[in-house]
Order: sequence, then structure tokens, then C-alpha cells
Amino acid sequence: MGMELGKYKTCVSARSTDKEIVAKAQDGGIVTQLFAFALEQGIIDGAIVTGLGDRPWKPRPFIATTREELLTSRGTKYNVSPNVAWIKEATRSFGLDKVGIVGTPCQMQAVRKVQLYPIGMRDVPDKIALAVGIFCMENFLYKSIQQLVEDHAGQKMQSVKKMTIGKGKFSVYTERGNVVALPLKITEKYEQAGCHVCLDYVANLSDVSTGSVGSPDGWSTVFVRTKKGDHIWSKAIAAGCFETKPIEEVKPGLELVTKLAHEKIHKNEIYLNKRASYGVGKGLRNPYI
Amino acid sequence: MYLYSDMNNPMRNEAIQLSKVVEISPTTRHEGHSKLVLKVNDSGIVERGDWLSITPVRGVEKLAIGKTMEQVPKIASRVCGICPIAHTLAAIESMEASIKCEVPKDAHLLRVILQCANRLHSIALHNVLILPDLYIPGTDTKINPFTKEEPVRTVAKRIQRIREIGQTIGEIAGGEAIHPSNPRVGGMYRNVTEHAMWKMYDLAKEGLVLAHEQMEFMIAVIRNFQKRDWTEIGGQQIPIPKTLGYHNQGYMATDPIYGSSSLDEHPTWNPARWIETRPWDWYMGQVEINYEDPTYPVGGTTKVGTKAWPQIEACTGVPTYDGQPVEVGPRARLTMFKNYDEKGTIGQHIARQMEYPDCLYSIIKCLDILNPNGKVLADNIPQGDGSFGWAANEAPRGTDVHLARVKDGRVQWFEMLVPTTWNFPTASRALVGAPWQLAEMVIRGYDPCVSCATHMIVVDEDNRIVAQKLMQ
Repeated sequence: MGMELGKYKTCVSARSTDKEIVAKAQDGGIVTQLFAFALEQGIIDGAIVTGLGDRPWKPRPFIATTREELLTSRGTKYNVSPNVAWIKEATRSFGLDKVGIVGTPCQMQAVRKVQLYPIGMRDVPDKIALAVGIFCMENFLYKSIQQLVEDHAGQKMQSVKKMTIGKGKFSVYTERGNVVALPLKITEKYEQAGCHVCLDYVANLSDVSTGSVGSPDGWSTVFVRTKKGDHIWSKAIAAGCFETKPIEEVKPGLELVTKLAHEKIHKNEIYLNKRASYGVGKGLRNPYI
Repeated sequence: MYLYSDMNNPMRNEAIQLSKVVEISPTTRHEGHSKLVLKVNDSGIVERGDWLSITPVRGVEKLAIGKTMEQVPKIASRVCGICPIAHTLAAIESMEASIKCEVPKDAHLLRVILQCANRLHSIALHNVLILPDLYIPGTDTKINPFTKEEPVRTVAKRIQRIREIGQTIGEIAGGEAIHPSNPRVGGMYRNVTEHAMWKMYDLAKEGLVLAHEQMEFMIAVIRNFQKRDWTEIGGQQIPIPKTLGYHNQGYMATDPIYGSSSLDEHPTWNPARWIETRPWDWYMGQVEINYEDPTYPVGGTTKVGTKAWPQIEACTGVPTYDGQPVEVGPRARLTMFKNYDEKGTIGQHIARQMEYPDCLYSIIKCLDILNPNGKVLADNIPQGDGSFGWAANEAPRGTDVHLARVKDGRVQWFEMLVPTTWNFPTASRALVGAPWQLAEMVIRGYDPCVSCATHMIVVDEDNRIVAQKLMQ
């Protein structure tokens, strides 16, 4: 215990003050609002976000350069979205100089690796202006999420309005008001195998990381981690983009975030140790310690 | 000047004995490895010069056989990192010429932008390489482009900014400034966004001002050098002949900016006029170095007693056009298309500077008509029936011709006739009459890029490959 939440400058519970953003946001609309503000202020000139793909709830990463485009990416899609794949193209045929990117902890790790060792990523490192991380316990492939929704929950993907994971349940809400909550025991076997080596729950390497855990419904927990993140976050607060509450005053608060982070890390450490015994050199170094 | 085609001719050996032989190896301030073997008279004037590539053979043409037509241009690009864009574009277009595929207009515009961006950066880079040969006007101080002192510092910064602009435009239009990823057989993978288009436009506008300034600066220092009677090399004052680098060979260029291909209505290059000769037939036989100058920078010339055998050591073919070596490059382009008539090394340097603004004007012109929403990939990409196709691309240092045969999507035959390969024998002739100490300056006028010039696939009179014989 102790290092689960990584390094951060401040932590608050926050939500966007923009009704349009919050209307379709997963929780507090933090990512969309932060990117919209950064776009408006010229802090970034485009952001790699997750939009809708060619099938319902299939994510498609794309480069949003306007508020309208950003708004189409609101809400969480619980399956793999290869956002980092666009990071080079954003600086090439899109001609962006200041790129924002949102991603899971593993994607934040990739972004930082690009900046440290820019092999095949010439002129990319200095163009990453804002990296927003989202909390992640594990991710699913599209086929898995389809099976969970269509077979286990018995709903059509097309009719689903929202999916959430929280309070020990994977919940599916449909347009016509059906709500199906599946215990996480069921979703476990659908988790991506790769997620079991991850030792980061709260996107330690991002500039700002956010997720629903720890805050009340409709709010998000926000960690401001870097100098750059702090600069942008403070400006956004000053501009009235977010309403905030001290994290100590909200329920369930940081205690739950720490607990879940510990659970993930501890569980995956056991798996990693097991993997280390598979053969020579199969063990992975923990990049967060 | 005569060719030693007969190895057993006793006259040849006699000729060797009469001249002093000096060797500069390796030559410096250009890309790749090459050396100069010079026969000089008692006054140190070159009577015969052989400039040859000693970069090891890459074998790209052999590697290409059997690969897909998409792969080969990417491999061809890797022959060198200085003008990979020329190789990518020439290779892609030779494939397109073989399969007879025309690319959409916007794809072509992106390729021209990429081409000009590369040329812009390459000219600026060459400025850094030749500045140490030149003097600060009004002084006897040579220019050190790396000094922190003014006025050189400002020039160095301007050069770097021009290179940055060229490379950034190249990155946007081509995906990468070095080894561009965006061009493909049939067009381009992606068009640029409107935002990117205006970014290129802004950069080109900024570059245009800098390029004009840089061109004027370079022409001033080159003209200043031209007026001088001597230049200092290795602590000695070497007289500068007024005819430095003159030769009587012809010029070859296919376009002032871009290039030509066998798909064109009026192709500007003719493969029937090209014959490849073996280095064996062209270069000197074995010679012994019998003159050395330890003060020659850097580290002196090759030691007396060392043997040199240019015929064997040269790692290039000798392409001829109408039976003669020709000059390719900026001066050839300006001579062929813009009635430029200044000869010699100085003429070459001036011509290169004059291409600066052309690069940016062309970029701006293309951006004016580029449609960022336009199609950049041909609807139908034929897989090829093995017909012969060629494409010439005007690389920064000259005409880069690639020839190919593609059948069912696979490359059956591939050949690269790269700029410096054309220039090797021509520059060798241009050395005659110059003090040997200035020989490197003469070859630098060609902005040589030796790596890609290295080839051993040579055909004899019956068009049979004879390279293997030489390599044994």
C-alpha cells in the first residue's frame, strides 16, 4: 500500500459545468471538457479521442479538431480503442503541433515511451501537449463485450444507451429503459489476457487522470499529476469549466480508489510472478516503482 | 585524356611512370565513401583524375527481384538517407510506369510538394558542406559554419530553419521527412487535412523569405571566392584557376522540378540513349602512389608506396548518355530548361542556390490547387504484365532514373540509375586542369551522394550481366 495512486499534485472530485457535455458523459465529462477547453485556448490543436466505429459500441479512434467532433466521442466504450496508433499521423497528414490524447494506463505508458525513445516516431515527442489518462481495471475485446451484452444480458447492442462498471456490477442500460446488471464474476473470463500484467489502475503517467471511482454518481475523481497538467487544469478551473469538491469530502472518496488500485496491482503481481516462472526472461519489470 | 581500355598496352604503364600519382582517400564533406586518384604534373595540376565510389555494394536491385511492387520502392528508399524521397518517388513511378497506372491529380501534387521540400532541405544541407571552402568577403578567413560568432551564426541558424521547414513540409505531405511512408503505388495513402495544408502554406511563406536571403548570401560568398586568386589549403596558397571544374561533357535533365516517366506523352528521357559501361573499361589500371602531402587536411593524403587500382575498386557502373558521360544536377536543369550558361564549379554552386526559391514557389503553387478532400489513390491499380517502365525523378543532385518490369504485382527486374553515378565520370573529367588540392572542391560542386551511386549490376554490349565477373 502507498504507491497505488502514483504521484499527483492534487486530487479532486469534479464535473463539467457544460450541460451539453454532461448530458451524454459517462460521469463528470472531464475528458471532453478538458479537451474542449484546451482546444478553445489553443493549448492543443487536436485530440485523439474515441468515437463510434462501424458497429454499435465499437470504438474508432479519431482526431477531433473541433468541439463538435469532440462531442461525438462522449462516454465510455468498454472495449479496445487503439488511440496511440494515431499519434504519429496526427503530426503528419493532420499537421498538428500540439496533440491531446486520451487513453488507458497502458496507452499512457506507450505515449511516454514514445517520448523517451522515439524510434519510428521522429518529431512526435515534443508535439504531445496533453495526455489524459482514464482509470482502468481491465479492458475487453469487441467480441467479448458483444457476447456480454447480447448473450449474458440479453440485449441488442444497437439498443444499448450506456454501459457502466461500478459497485461490483457490469450494467447495461437500453434506450427503452431496460437495465441489466451482471456480476463482475461473469465478465472476468472475458477480460483481455494482456490486462493481467498491468500494474497501473489510475494512469500514473498521464498529465491528468480521471475516472468515476471515488466520486458520487455524475462526478469524476481527477488526479492532476504533472506540471503541464496542473497548468491546464488550473486554467480550466479559473475559466469556470468545472465545479469541484475536495476529494476528502465526497463518498466513497480516495479510500475506494486506493482499495481497487491495490486489488488490481496485487492480483496482477501474483500473475506476473507466475509468468516469471514460465521460462527464462519472461518476467516483466514493474515500471511504476 | 584517354581511356586505358587495353590492360596489356605497354604505353599505359609508361604513362603511369611519367606522372606523379596522389590519392585523397577518403574524400570529405559529402555523403558516402569515395576517393580521388589523381595523376598530376610537376606543377601539381591534375592531368587525369579518377573519382570513384568505395562504398560497399548494396545490391538493392537484386534484392528487389520477386518482391511485391509495393515493397520495392520502400526498399529502394533505404539505399540512402539523403535523398530517399527521390528514390521512393522514382521507384514508385517506375512501377506505375510498368503497370501503366495513372495517379490522381491531388496525389501528384502531394508528391511534387514532397519533392520540393526534400530539395529545399538538401540544398541547405549542402550549404553547410561547402561553406568551409569559402571565405568571409573582404577577409582571408574561411567560414566555419559551426562557430558561435556572427555573422556566421545567423547564417547557420537560417540554414537550420530552412532545413526544418523543408523536413516539416515533407513530413506532412509524405508521412516522413526521411524514407517517406505516404507515397504508394497508385498514388498516396492519405491526403492531408485542410489544417495541414495551411500549415504547409505558412511554412512555405516563411521559408520563401529565408530562402531568398540565404540564396543571396550564398551567391555573394561564392562570387567573392570566384574573385580570389588563391585559396589556403593545408597552410599553402593554392592558385584558383578561372576554369575550375570546367568540362566539355553534355547535360542531362528531365524537368526543372519534378521528373518524367515512360507514361508521359512526351517523355524527356530515352532509355535507348543510355548505355552502361563497366568501371573496368573506364577507370585507371593499377598505380602506385608516389607523391604525398602530409599537410593536406585532414591527416594528409595517402602514403607513398600504397597501391591503388581504380578499375577494381570502383563500386559503380559508368552510365553514358549518347555514348558520353553527362552532368546531372541543378546546373543541368537550369541549362536545359532556363538557358543558364555558367560553367565550372562556381557555376554549379550558383545554380544550386538559384533553385532555392523555385522549391518554395512550386510548393505554394501546388498548395494553391491542392484539394484536401480530393482522391489520392487510383481506382484501379493493374498488377502488371511485365512491360518495361521507367521513371526519372529530379533529385536534389540530379536525375534519378529507375527502371522496372512488374508482372502480377511482383517485380521481375529493377534498376536504379542514380544522380551521382552519372556524375562520377563527368566530375572525373572536370578535375583536369585544376591544382590537385582543389580536386575535392570540384567534386563537392556536384553535391555528391555516393551511397546510392554504388552499383555493380552492369551490362556489356550484348546486354548480359557481367557484374558477377568483376565481383569474383
